Amino acid sequence: MKNSISQIKKSLIEKKISVGELYDEYSAKAKSGNNNSFNLVIDRENNISSINDSQNRYDNGNPLPLDGIPLGIKDLFCTKGIRTTASSKILSNFIPNYESFVTQQLLNDGSIFIGKNNCDEFAMGSSNETSYFGPVINPWKNKNSQKDNLVPGGSSGGSAAAVAEGSCVASMGTDTGGSIRQPASLCGIVGLKPTFGSCSRWGIVAFASSLDQAGPLTNCVEDAAYILNSINKHDFNDSTSSNHQREDYLIDINNSLEKKIKIGIPSDYLEDVSDDILNQIDNTKKALSKHGIEFVDVEFKTTEYALSTYYILAPAEASSNLARYDGVRYGVREDGESLDDIYLNSRTKGFGDEVTRRILIGAYVLSAGYYDAYYRQAQKVRRLIKNDFQRILNEVDFILTPTTPNEAFKIGDKLDPISMYKNDIYTVPTSLAGLPGISIPSGLSKNGLPLGVQFIGNYFEEKTLLQLAALAEKELSFNE
Amino acid sequence: MSDIDIKRISYLAKLKLPSEKEEFYSNSLKDIIKWVDNLKKVDTSKIEPLHNVTEKTVSIRNDVVSKSNSVDDVLSNAPERAQNFFKVPKVVE
Repeated sequence: MKNSISQIKKSLIEKKISVGELYDEYSAKAKSGNNNSFNLVIDRENNISSINDSQNRYDNGNPLPLDGIPLGIKDLFCTKGIRTTASSKILSNFIPNYESFVTQQLLNDGSIFIGKNNCDEFAMGSSNETSYFGPVINPWKNKNSQKDNLVPGGSSGGSAAAVAEGSCVASMGTDTGGSIRQPASLCGIVGLKPTFGSCSRWGIVAFASSLDQAGPLTNCVEDAAYILNSINKHDFNDSTSSNHQREDYLIDINNSLEKKIKIGIPSDYLEDVSDDILNQIDNTKKALSKHGIEFVDVEFKTTEYALSTYYILAPAEASSNLARYDGVRYGVREDGESLDDIYLNSRTKGFGDEVTRRILIGAYVLSAGYYDAYYRQAQKVRRLIKNDFQRILNEVDFILTPTTPNEAFKIGDKLDPISMYKNDIYTVPTSLAGLPGISIPSGLSKNGLPLGVQFIGNYFEEKTLLQLAALAEKELSFNE
Repeated sequence: MSDIDIKRISYLAKLKLPSEKEEFYSNSLKDIIKWVDNLKKVDTSKIEPLHNVTEKTVSIRNDVVSKSNSVDDVLSNAPERAQNFFKVPKVVE
């Protein structure tokens, strides 16, 4: 069932399948819910007019770019009239009155939503274990211990698992420090985090506003280009949305890159990594060298500070963003005698452990006496990290790194927050710099689990980044 | 690093931690703050803080009035409402 968007559209055009049949196939799989990848599967009657409209457009010979394509949507995007929970108890009854900018573009292009994908609570997590609705199970199994349920990664874990299990063709995720790329890697699919400012954040439940970015999780690089074409637009409702001219990411995606390409591999990223991970880099290097692409060693000076910077800035922004959950305007209220009691009770009972922890970190680093030492210092180091990337991207066209330091691990295995945070060591620096990154499957570990590599490009250079990723994908393609 | 006053921090965050969890969060916070303490050794004396990585692309719309949400829309998710208001316990003494 792992057909690409262009293959599915071809079948729809040739009437080998109808939009309704296609929808039912994916929806049934989503409803079976074996991996808990959906918080909500939308009822067929709520989608029936979209299905019929889409079929009519195919019948009339003028389908839209994503017509009839069944998509999953991370439960962090506000969807009009459809419950949107951020996988949190505090939003478990929230029904938005408006559609997020990104999901509206996908609807405008004819896609049909299967449902809302499970994720870490407020997108805070790297394993999808912090969800109020329970963990998501990775569809992949370790061949040496088949019984173990593995994490899909996070925070867009439900999105990644849903695409990998085939209950949606693609899913919209969000990435703050690796939340698209890391689960894509652990589930053997493609995950793209565009440049910060590419896709509007309007209508996405906010986590860390200077880092949050929407992007697709897909079966192949070409599908990522399909989705990016739809969602990458300027929006006045997000003041950080860039108003530069967008390109068509689909045209020429399979053509080789025009100029001679040089790719940097950060040697400091590869210290102390396992053979499994080193193999991914070696394979990719070998596969692309055939195409005349040159590889050089580069070295960052700021890598050791990236996680610290992130775990000050992201919780600081989160503690501020999550101040809106007060039990008064929306979400779950816990009663109290006074207004203050309502705030305290609603928030204390509404947030899970990890979200509470991050709010507390944020409140601490922003509090009087610590603001300069932690928050302001982290913002300064962030500039050094950005400068470090710019220095390297002056020497090379792209950067190649592992996406994750390890394969998918067992549910319940990582209890210590810091060891969990270290999962994002290769994705966080790119997020801090605001650069685009894409993870593509690059091979299997000794345990038969998927691993990925990440390509990082320059600001708003998604077009060449996708071309490079498509070429690497073709060379590296592995069959399950 | 000075000691973390978990009661003060949770008060700032409008959270009322159950007493049996205070130590759990306090220790967790201590570990994380110790872990991020390595930033202090970075010389940033000549560096400006970075607020927005795409600072050059910020776009602001024209200040034109437009109609978006209705009062009913805004109140539709309220846990409690009274006419056109959010309802909360009496605040004035």
